[in-house]
Amino acid sequence: MDGEQVSAGRTTSRIPARMRIVIAEDAAIMRDGLTQTLLRRGHDVVAAVGDPAALLEAVAGHEPDVAVVDVRMPPTHTDEGLRAARAIRAGHPSVGVLVFSQYIEAQSAAELFAGYPGGVGYLLKDRVADVSDFIDAISRVAQGGTVLDPEVVSRLLGARSKAGALATLTAREREVLALIAEGRSNIAIAETLYITGGVVEKHIASIFAKLGLAPSDNDNRRVIAALKYLES
Amino acid sequence: MRRPSERKVASRARAYPGHMRGIWTWLRSHPWETDLALAACIVLVTSGQARGDPPLLAVGVVLAAILLARRKYPVQAFAVALVIAGVQICLGLAPGGGYYLGAWQPSAADVTIAILLYTLAAHASRRTSLIGLGVCLLFSAVAVARWGPAHPLTLATSADGAHSVSPNGVALAAAALLCSVCLTAWVLGDTVAYRHRVAYLAALERRAARLEAERDAQAQIAAAAERARELQERRALAVEDGAARLRRIERDLHDGAQVRLAALALTLGEVKETLEAAGQPDDDDHARTVMLIGAAHRNAKETLAELRDLARGIHPAALDRGLDAALGVLAESSAVPVTLTVTITERPSAAIEAIAYFCAAELLANITKHSNATEATIAAADTGGELEMTVSDDGTGGARVVPGGGLHGLRERVQTVDGRLVVASPPGGPTTVTIRLPGHA
Repeated sequence: MDGEQVSAGRTTSRIPARMRIVIAEDAAIMRDGLTQTLLRRGHDVVAAVGDPAALLEAVAGHEPDVAVVDVRMPPTHTDEGLRAARAIRAGHPSVGVLVFSQYIEAQSAAELFAGYPGGVGYLLKDRVADVSDFIDAISRVAQGGTVLDPEVVSRLLGARSKAGALATLTAREREVLALIAEGRSNIAIAETLYITGGVVEKHIASIFAKLGLAPSDNDNRRVIAALKYLES
Repeated sequence: MRRPSERKVASRARAYPGHMRGIWTWLRSHPWETDLALAACIVLVTSGQARGDPPLLAVGVVLAAILLARRKYPVQAFAVALVIAGVQICLGLAPGGGYYLGAWQPSAADVTIAILLYTLAAHASRRTSLIGLGVCLLFSAVAVARWGPAHPLTLATSADGAHSVSPNGVALAAAALLCSVCLTAWVLGDTVAYRHRVAYLAALERRAARLEAERDAQAQIAAAAERARELQERRALAVEDGAARLRRIERDLHDGAQVRLAALALTLGEVKETLEAAGQPDDDDHARTVMLIGAAHRNAKETLAELRDLARGIHPAALDRGLDAALGVLAESSAVPVTLTVTITERPSAAIEAIAYFCAAELLANITKHSNATEATIAAADTGGELEMTVSDDGTGGARVVPGGGLHGLRERVQTVDGRLVVASPPGGPTTVTIRLPGHA
């Protein structure tokens, strides 16, 4: 499930030529680093701010493709970013929101994902280190996709592995489910796991049968369904 | 063979004071019986001396009655007796004379007055008793003067005739006798009074010492209570300060080292990807650089992960949003499914929340490792300013608090804020650990 499995060349091809991005991060060094990186990759950072109020203002003013939001921001440094993200999701459904956090909390992810399918992501802050994967995640969110940190998925899978229907999944099926939860398409899953698309579809059918969920063509709905099941 | 007889004498000498002490003790502990016996003697002697003279008999009975009242009213009894004696002297009511000394033979009335003087000296102030002694001596002199010259004494000592003793000599002897009786009575009484005063003073001193000791003890108790209160306040400050400091350290890590390290990892990631894209397949130097950068990049990411675990161990960030949020994070990452119920109306202080959180984390870890449970429950609620948290599981039970064990450590942590931890874990289960914490440290 390591992001490094996805090579730069393969993912870069899916990134739109020029994304309009708002960055909200209170640490200047990180804010500048991200901005420089994104600019170097040819994207347009329309605003880089340090607090929730400025973020909401920038989103309203620029209507960007995506906002990249840190969870901990002033004034209390607890979950301001998460609340701002929910406000953006409610007020600007066309703007994708990628929340990144120092700590992974499945409950926060579930709250973020609830109600508005697509255009949302939740990643551990460390993921910025794998630059291309991180930009890939931003672009998927910008395009209305769903990104969920593998850590959330593995934690939920690990937590429930002793009991419940998930215990009946095979190791391979769990890998597939984790990738589904990340919002990957069947083709991307097949590429990542070095298996054919037909095998992926077989696994997915088996997973949804075991979890008691009706299969669907819509990637986002599959993710939401899986997540809701996991956090229940 | 002298030794046994000496021993016999010695033993008798020892026995005698013991015997006397016994009598004295009995007399002291039975004042009414003693006085009744004395009064009876007085009545008997007076009736013998009176020889049917009704006034004398009446005087005897009254004196006996006064004797009975002497302990309770020493001054009054003595005064009444003196008045009677004065009346007796004025009216010339004297007994008819003894066998040897005639009118000078000490009457029962004289003995009574001596006893009353003794009582006065023993119980009244010394000034009063001295006045009493003076009056007695005066009365003795008056009595001797009153009867002395009129009653020459005739002694029938032998068959060949009567010897007559000069009245002056008799008067002097009688006066000396009466005076010495009075003086003896006074001295004896005064000695008793002195002993009483000494004993009274000693008792006073003892009482004063005891009161002082009590006052000291009370002062010590008050000081200890004050100290305890002071220490409690200081402990609360220290505990809260500790919690606040840990929170600050976590935030400093987050704002400082973690952010810088993440920025470094981001830069290294960019360098790595740039190098990977730019290299030629046969360039060894380039391949080595890519490898080294890759290693540095990996190290940075691993350090980030370690730093995150460290920071979480110091102060879980979710606690800033409250105990329910933090327990929620614990529950969602637990290997054993957890049912969480949190009903908190008023947030406890940060230190209390931290203690509750770390207890729950440790207990959940125990459940996962040791209990073989299939499900666990965490219930936290605040009632009456106290936080009560119950962590239970359906596992195999048998958990015990042993010195040095995990539960013991938790109990010690809970006790730092006067909290309580109770473990109910019969063999075969289920296990319930109840923790009660004050709202504030």
